[in-house]
Amino acid sequence: MRTSYTAVIERNVIIKGDFSTEPYECGWASEAVIFVRSLNGSLAGAEGRVQISPDGMNWCDEGTRLPLPGRNELTFCRVAGFGNWLRIVGDTGDKSGGVIVTMHIKE
Amino acid sequence: MSVNQGGDIRLTKFDPLRRIIFFDDFDTGTSGWTELIGNYHGSLDNMLEPYKDHRPPQLSTLSMWDTGSAGSHDGMYALKIATRAKRGHQAVAIKRTTFRQASRIRLETYFCFKPEATEMTLGDHTPRSFGFLFDLQNDTERVMPHVRYLNALDGQLKQKWQFKRERAAFTQINEEENTVSHYHLSPEGWEDIPDGTQRLCYNEIATKHNWHYLRFDFDLATMRFLYLQCNDRVLNVAGLEPIRIEAMQNLWCMLNLALFAETDADRRVFAYFDSVVLSGDF
Repeated sequence: MRTSYTAVIERNVIIKGDFSTEPYECGWASEAVIFVRSLNGSLAGAEGRVQISPDGMNWCDEGTRLPLPGRNELTFCRVAGFGNWLRIVGDTGDKSGGVIVTMHIKE
Repeated sequence: MSVNQGGDIRLTKFDPLRRIIFFDDFDTGTSGWTELIGNYHGSLDNMLEPYKDHRPPQLSTLSMWDTGSAGSHDGMYALKIATRAKRGHQAVAIKRTTFRQASRIRLETYFCFKPEATEMTLGDHTPRSFGFLFDLQNDTERVMPHVRYLNALDGQLKQKWQFKRERAAFTQINEEENTVSHYHLSPEGWEDIPDGTQRLCYNEIATKHNWHYLRFDFDLATMRFLYLQCNDRVLNVAGLEPIRIEAMQNLWCMLNLALFAETDADRRVFAYFDSVVLSGDF
């Protein structure tokens, strides 16, 4: 049976302007689905970017875009073949929203 | 190989009691370890502030920018508990179970801890502490033995073992359901274990990891400390007390074990554990 794990990367945090999630080490996994659920406010129209890293400290864009949720919405992206670390970065400008960000990673 | 090692060669580096309650190697998953969260009711907003962000545990190969993967003490993966890069932040992982016999129990693990290698400096003053706690309840009381290694505080090396018996104040989260919360891992109330100074093998740069052995025995029958050992040091546990609270409404036979790390600088700190063995004398 394949190993899988759900990590709550950010919980009940307000995203506004430049943001980056905490790095998450998951080199055992080969694929991930990343969800962003709106708890309050709206980030509709804003996007995050998936980033990967050789060391958990230096980052580059992986190429996948993550749409951010409007009020009460849920958004997601899929990513595969990402090495040992994942994070999400972005810039929402003046838009502000409380979110919960979860990574669902699978061997 | 003794009977209590059950023919598993990976257990020969431990000295478990007769019954293996769990043996978490982390080479095949997180084995029930998850993020500690505080109590809430109706909204996440009414959770006590320090409980809001204890971070999800990770499975790490201890991969370093300069030398690649160290791997774990035994195999590829270790449990990694990572703080934020924020001075005073605590990361806490917990495994929750219950006990079936109020016996002596024994925690054993191999651990190491390091700051994130964001700077090419020694970094030995960066980790504030790492430690463990049990959260237990019998028919009459909730008992929480806390032990930590205070590595540094306010930029000064301390390198000593501490315990905590002081109760934290309770906050009512919801009156109707009698949901309460208390932050027992606060910086206040830690006391030095007598003669508890110990220098560990930090090693010379932030990307070198040396595993250390830790053993802790506690008696579920008397709810007393029995034994604490780190590497070649056996500490004096006479006089050490856990936090004691009146029994609560839905925690019967609880046996929770938490592992934590804390940073003393605006730099992430990682505590690694491989493996974690809990055994009982029954």
